[in-house]
Amino acid sequence: MASLNIEHLKYKYPGTDRLALNDISLSIETGEFIGIIGRNESGKSSLCQAIAGLIPNFYKGAYGGKVLIDDIEVKKVPVDELCETVGTVFQNPFNQVTGAKATVYEEIAFGLENMGVPKEEMIRRIDRAMELLDISKYRDRYPFDLSGGQMQRMAIAGVIAMHPQVIILDEPTSQLDPQGREEVFQAVQKLCGQGITIILVEHNMEKIAQYSNRVALLDAGTLIDFDTPQKIFSRVDLEQYGVEAPVYTQIGKRLNLTIEDTGCYPVTLEEAKTVLLRKGGNDPVWL
Amino acid sequence: MKTISLYVDKGTMLNKIAPESKIWYVIAAITIPALMGTRWAGIVLIAVSAALLLYGKVLKRTLPLLAVSGFVLLTVLIIQGMFWWGNETPLFALGPAVFYREGVNYALGILINIINILMSFCVLILTTKPSDMMENFVRRGFSPRFGYVFISVFQIIPQMTETMSTITDAQRSRGMETEGSLAVRIKAFIPLIAPVIMSSLINTKERALALEVRGFNSRKKKTFLNDEVKTAGDRYIQIALPVLIIAAAVWRVTQWLA
Ligand SMILES: Nc1ncnc2c1ncn2[C@@H]1O[C@H](COP(=O)(O)OP(=O)(O)O)[C@@H](O)[C@H]1O
Ligand SMILES: [Mg+2]
Repeated sequence: MASLNIEHLKYKYPGTDRLALNDISLSIETGEFIGIIGRNESGKSSLCQAIAGLIPNFYKGAYGGKVLIDDIEVKKVPVDELCETVGTVFQNPFNQVTGAKATVYEEIAFGLENMGVPKEEMIRRIDRAMELLDISKYRDRYPFDLSGGQMQRMAIAGVIAMHPQVIILDEPTSQLDPQGREEVFQAVQKLCGQGITIILVEHNMEKIAQYSNRVALLDAGTLIDFDTPQKIFSRVDLEQYGVEAPVYTQIGKRLNLTIEDTGCYPVTLEEAKTVLLRKGGNDPVWL
Repeated sequence: MKTISLYVDKGTMLNKIAPESKIWYVIAAITIPALMGTRWAGIVLIAVSAALLLYGKVLKRTLPLLAVSGFVLLTVLIIQGMFWWGNETPLFALGPAVFYREGVNYALGILINIINILMSFCVLILTTKPSDMMENFVRRGFSPRFGYVFISVFQIIPQMTETMSTITDAQRSRGMETEGSLAVRIKAFIPLIAPVIMSSLINTKERALALEVRGFNSRKKKTFLNDEVKTAGDRYIQIALPVLIIAAAVWRVTQWLA
């Protein structure tokens, strides 16, 4: 039984007449790394907010279907309780700094204080979260003085300290430089290794291909496909959905190189290498 | 570290005692001279504040604040000294400007009051971390939402000013006039302010959501990472100061009756 189930989810923002989410159903296993892709306004953020319960408990509007995490129906749980089940990380790290705390350490405590976690337990959880995100060395720094990548990792630490089973990250690196982006991806992968389910929206398809177990492709509020990155990026109609496959896949398509057992094109550097080596022997002259 | 807060931790006892004790001090420093109606009470309290500030190693930081208000105080002295309605006895003259004893005396009363109020507030503000003060209030049942707004403005406003100047720079580098004649600047102002408003609206929404998903509106009883700022002596301070205020009032009443 999957840990996260979405059943016929439909949603319309108040005052609009188009479904932002149109009959979405999917199941996600515990500990999976799920990428969400699709053009702008395709409903990626809306889907994230529906999983986090912000839809329909923060944004009102017409809502149908169900989002279940284990046997909790998110719609029925107030947002401030649900945050111990599903955590949310937003795009702009700066906006996630509470502005009420003087150090990184205190900043991470913010959610725990609100949840009434006892002090000793709080300290244990903060230390663990800082360690996981590799920010222990910034413990006593002023939150606003961190770099974008560090700040975003602090935000993630504040979320995972609340021990959610699922973490949703909506374009968490779009405001970061390449180094910050890599730091965040490494950190998120580490969390996934801890058994936390990851749901991540990202425009960089190389990153999606590198890190995701499965990818959800959205268009106009509809779930077009939900499958492995290889299957998704091998689709011939991909461009129709405003998505450009990773550069390795494009090379594969151009040269008609597929992975033997799946018939899909390669999506990462590693896969591209394997395919090319097989084709050209151990010394492919045209590499 | 950019905040509006004037607090610096000098590690003295004044940093360690409960913010409430210092608030009581401010109340006492303002009400006691007012209740007693004597000038020397104000002078004594100025001396006490100065001693506390010296002890708290922040007397130097008080000076710029006094200097700012010094301009206003000087104006009071000049205007009252020259033009107060009760002026009779010339005290001294600066060229054609004559200063009178009564007006100068009256102005001195105002000066003592203002300096006293300023310095007692300095004792509180320069030695108290705003978030400690707010946390103590929340512990006493004060609304965490109000506390949050109070504290976060100290930090978020300086950050927003920075964003604003970043946007201004970006616009300027795209060739927009942010300097020059008034008309030029007004024309430049509108396209400049639009992205600032847009971005701050988006940011406000994201910030609200980010607080929400960290349980900000939780109805559970809050816990605190930091221990409450207080010392063993605070109980006595918080009894002694109200007693002194009452004593001042009693003294005034007996003066009346006598
Ligand atoms: N707060 C809102 N109010 C009304 N409509 C919205 C709101 N947020 C998003 N939408 C609409 O919902 C659709 C999906 O948007 P969104 O989920 O933000 O897409 P994405 O994250 O993929 O860019 C779009 O048509 C968008 O205009
Ligand atoms: Mg979005």
